[in-house]
Parts: sequence; structure tokens; C-alpha cells
Amino acid sequence: MFEFSVLILIPLLSAGVCYYLKNFRLQYSISLFVSAIHLLLSLVIFIGWYKTDLPFFFSTDSLSKLFLLVLSNIYFWVVLVSFSYLKRPVTPNSEEGKKYYFLLLNFYLFANTAAILSNHYGMYWVAAEGTTLSVAPLIYYYRNEEALEAMWKYLFLVSIGIAFAFIGILFLTLSAKGTPLEGQQLFFSEFVKNARTLNPVWLKASFIFIFVGLSTKIGIAPMHSADVDATSNSPSPIAALMSGSLRITALLGVMRIFQIVQPTSTYEFAKTILIIGGLLSLLFAFIFMFKVNNYKRMLAYSSIEHLGIITLGIGIGGLAFVGAMYHIIYNSLNKVVLFFTAGNIHYKYKTREVDGVSSVLNILPWSGWLLLISFLAISAIPPFGIFFSELMIFEGMLFSDKPWILAVTMFLLLFIFINMGKTLFQMLYRKNENENLPVEKERFGIIHFATIVLLILLIAIAVASPNILHENIVNISKDFGIKL
Amino acid sequence: MQNVLSILFCLSLFYLAVTSRVKAYVSVLRFQGILLTVLLVFPFINHFSVYAFILPATLFVVKVILIPRYINKIILDLDIKRMIEPSIQPFTFQLLVIFSMIVIFVASNILSKSTSIETIPFASGFSAIAVGIFVIIFRKKLIIHVAGFLVLENGIFLFGTAVASELPMMIEIGTLLDVFVVVFLMGIAMNKISSTLSGFDVTALGRLKD
Repeated sequence: MFEFSVLILIPLLSAGVCYYLKNFRLQYSISLFVSAIHLLLSLVIFIGWYKTDLPFFFSTDSLSKLFLLVLSNIYFWVVLVSFSYLKRPVTPNSEEGKKYYFLLLNFYLFANTAAILSNHYGMYWVAAEGTTLSVAPLIYYYRNEEALEAMWKYLFLVSIGIAFAFIGILFLTLSAKGTPLEGQQLFFSEFVKNARTLNPVWLKASFIFIFVGLSTKIGIAPMHSADVDATSNSPSPIAALMSGSLRITALLGVMRIFQIVQPTSTYEFAKTILIIGGLLSLLFAFIFMFKVNNYKRMLAYSSIEHLGIITLGIGIGGLAFVGAMYHIIYNSLNKVVLFFTAGNIHYKYKTREVDGVSSVLNILPWSGWLLLISFLAISAIPPFGIFFSELMIFEGMLFSDKPWILAVTMFLLLFIFINMGKTLFQMLYRKNENENLPVEKERFGIIHFATIVLLILLIAIAVASPNILHENIVNISKDFGIKL
Repeated sequence: MQNVLSILFCLSLFYLAVTSRVKAYVSVLRFQGILLTVLLVFPFINHFSVYAFILPATLFVVKVILIPRYINKIILDLDIKRMIEPSIQPFTFQLLVIFSMIVIFVASNILSKSTSIETIPFASGFSAIAVGIFVIIFRKKLIIHVAGFLVLENGIFLFGTAVASELPMMIEIGTLLDVFVVVFLMGIAMNKISSTLSGFDVTALGRLKD
């Protein structure tokens, strides 16, 4: 019950408290405290120093422990920098958006933790929808027309998507007719145990509906449009939160059904669907990068690309699956770094258009260099983590029964890298055309500090390769029936 | 009884296909809410227990009272005109609805031979999902999109009772609350859209594209 209180109840309580407190600093302190203990407990649970015994529809396994730690970590850094974002002057309209900022953040933590820890498909659904509801108003933080449109599209499309996922859940119930699971609760663990007895036709339908439905939230092409709009128009901490943690929470739902499908005859079908989804995402990112004119949109497409790589890795299986699990961790850290620095650039230049940004390295040296380094990191340059995880995924592809996927992926990634690099270098190095920009030395702030720590973490995890993490990922692979 | 209610539910879908008034959509939502409530109450009519009535009561409050009232309020506040503004010919829309319902009913009948499902509620639920999607695709007004989304949700609910899914009450109530909050947020967004983008339909939303 202790862990249930800390991980789920306290964030909810803190959301309630934030509603009544008018002082931002106080709201910030409480939220930061809650996020710190959440992170601490998630870490302790991950390491295995504390054995969990969650009530109701919740439980932990290797997969949820990893996802919980990723969420906790991203959330902590997002909250840490949030106050400096709130302090920035905005239009009078946007002042209203600040009022519910921490309330919604805390509610997000509550809903997302509940989704990750749920052992029941119904519970997962309710909580996942809760995350949409908490994030949607945060997208509308700037109170401008683009943000409004992005919020509407996100709320509407993701709600429909998740309604489709619910149909998939009902199909899962249907697949259990005439098996020991009939009339039982929709516990993942029970379904995994009795997966072989499930009706394959309904199971297939269930997989498709859950995958397509949750794709709107994961951002897998061709259901990615609302997600891109939302990520590119929300304030940077929220974009980081969405790219770093919300997408993988939705991915968790797909992974759960994939785990159920694994011992059945539907497995090959599911793998093919995941591979198609992954390749399509890479293709969409590839096409977009040719005509990029908004750098935040570019980062949103980069998220689509990396979620595509993760989905591909999961679909291919074997070593690629292990690589995908590492990629989840590295990508989430890297996306936070990218969005934080992009946020600084947006604040200074007041535009998201690439053409309006020039000479970042001179005008914003801290943010400029950090953006450059994080671009190298996301492009899989060693010693950053993405290099190692992508290498593993590529190796898995090469030794799978479909090695041609590696060739296609490498081709698409090469052009994504070239085009993304071209755009970013233009922003960083092009001669200053904004003579009216106030030239003042960029001061080192908490955002830079968070970015540097996360970049160090990105290298440290990859180079040190902690045994505990490796063991956890091996356990996840075992749960998914993968022989290494 | 379940079949009778499901057929009434299908009739309400036909009504959606022929009507062109915004208010009629709200009435259909209310009517469907009542049908679903009766459907939930019916099995407990002989052995009454307070516990069993919590879910139907919540459903009634959310789907028959709160949501229709809220939508009516938005229509009134924003002074939305009474016609729905379709983007295709009404006759084509009706044909589409009828054709898809025939396909769904025939398919459900075939499926019911291999799996034990209640054909009529199953097919009615699925029809509502299809009609909900058609409404969203072929109508321009955002408020009608919300109504389409709710028809889709109602369809899923009916569909859920047809496959006899055993979701715990807490979770059922959770899903209802989620739907309510979604509609609530959509309402707020619509208010803002009408004031900042000055429009109630999808043509007002065209700023974001690649």
C-alpha cells in the first residue's frame, strides 16, 4: 500500500492541492517534491530493493518497472525546469494557461503511473485516456490559434483512437469465449498465461484495433498527424513530456497485447503489422525532412522516426527487441534535451520557422552548443546511447529472416540525418539576419543544467551499461518469449 | 428485450441519417442514453440491489442529463445555426448508412455461427460505431463531430454488453467519467474556437499542416 500511495495517490492529492494554491512557487515546490519521491521510489523498485505489492488492478513486472523509471525520470526534469518557463513573460492571454499548469502536470503523473502499473486492460484504458485529458489543456498553454487547433485535433483524434482501442479490448474478451478466461477479469497476466487457448480470429482483430487505436497516441504513421501538431505547438516542457513519456505509455498498451499474442498463431501477423507501422513512420519522417520549415515540427517528426525504429525493433524480435528497449530509454532522454534547447531558441527568436532563426551559436551559445550536441546524440553518434541501441537493432535486423529491412531503414535514416543536419546547421551557423534581436549574453540557467545532466546520463548509461538494467531488459525479453 | 432495445437503437441511427437539424442529434443522444440505461437495469429488475443500480444511475446522469444539457448549452451560447451542414448529399449519406448496416448485420450473422455472440446487439453496436465515424467524416460542424463521437461511444457501450464483457464497475464508471471530461474539454475548446477562429466548423481549422 505504501508504494500505491507514493506512486499514485500522492500525485493525485498534490494535483488537488495545486488547485487551491495560488502561489506558483509553492505549487512548483510541491510538484517538485512529489516528482522527486516518485523518482526515488521508482528507482528503488527498479533496482529491486523494494518488493512491490500493489492492490486492485495494479502490479509490477520487468516491463512496467522500466517504463515507470523512464516516466519518473522524464517527469522530474520537466517539473524541475517548469518554473523557469512559467516565469517567462507571455501574452496576457497566456497568463490564464499558467493557472492550471502544475495541477495538470500532477494529474498527468497520476494517470500515467496508473496506466503503466495497471495489470488490467480496462484500467489501462481509463488511465491512458486520463493522460490525454491532462495533456490536452497543457497543449493550449500559449492560448494562440495554432495551439487551440492542435489541442482540438489531439483531443478529438486521440479520443477516437482510444475508443478504437476499447473495441480491441472488447474483441480480446470475445477471443476468450469458451476458454478458462471466459467471464474472468481482463488481467494481462492471466491472458498471457492462457494465450494459447484464445480464439485466433478475434485475437487478430483485437491486435489490429488496439494497435491502430493507440497509434494515434504513439504517433505511428499514418495516424501521427494530431501528435505532430500537438508536440510542435505545446510549450517545450510539455513537448518533452509527450515525446519522452506519453508516447511510450501508449506503446506499452501495444506491447501488452503483443505479449499476449506471442505464443499464438497470430504472432507472425502481429510482427508484420508492427514492422509495417515502423517502416511507414520512418518513411513519413523521411518525406517530411525534405521540406522542413518549422524546427519544432522537425523534432516532432524525429519522435515519429524513433518510435518507428522502436516499433520496428519490437516487430523484428531477437536482438532488435533488446535494442528497442534500450532505445526507449535513450530516445526519451534525448528528446527531452532537444525540446528543452529548442524551447530556449523559440523564446529568444519568437518563431518556430527555420528561416527566422540564424546564428544561434553566437546569440545563444549555451543553447546552441547543447542543441548541436543533442543533435549528434539523436543521430546515433558514439558515445551517446542511441548509437548502441541502434547498432543492436540493426544487428537484429541483419540476422533476422528479413535483412532487407536493414537496407531500407539505413537508406531512410541517412536522408533523415542529412536533412535534419542541414536544417539545424543553418539555424546554428547562418549569419545573423535578425539585427533587431537584443544581443545580451545568454546566462547559464536551470534548463542548461538539466540538459547537461541528461546528456551525461545518456553517455553514462551507454558506457557503464549497468548490470541491473541489462538484467531487467533480458527479463522483459524472456517475458516476450525471445531467445537471445 | 435486449434485441428490442438494440433495434430501437438502430432506428435512432436511421433517424440520424435522415435528420438535418442540430437539435435532433442531441435528442438522439438522449434517447440512446435512455436505451442503454434500460438495457443495464433490465437484468436486475427481479432481484433489486442498490449496488447494481450505481452504474445505470451514473450512465443516466452522464449520458441523458449532463452531456445533452451541456451540448444544448453550447448550441445556445455560441448561437449555432440549426442546420448540420453536410459535406455530401443527404441521399448519398443515407445510402452509405443503410449499406454499411446491411454489411455489418450479415457479417455479424456469419460470425455468430463460430462464436457465441448476441447478433442483434453486436451488429447494432457496430453500426453505431460506423455511423458515428460517418457523421464525423461527412459533417462540417464541430458540435456534430462531438455528437458523432458520442454515438460511436454509445455504440461501443452497446457492443460491450453484446459480448458480455466483464468489466468491473469502477472501471465502467471511470470510462463514463473519461467520456464526460472529453466532451467537457471539447466544449471549452469549441467556445475558444468560435471566439478566436470565428467559426464552428472544420474549415476554421486549417492552420497546421506540413
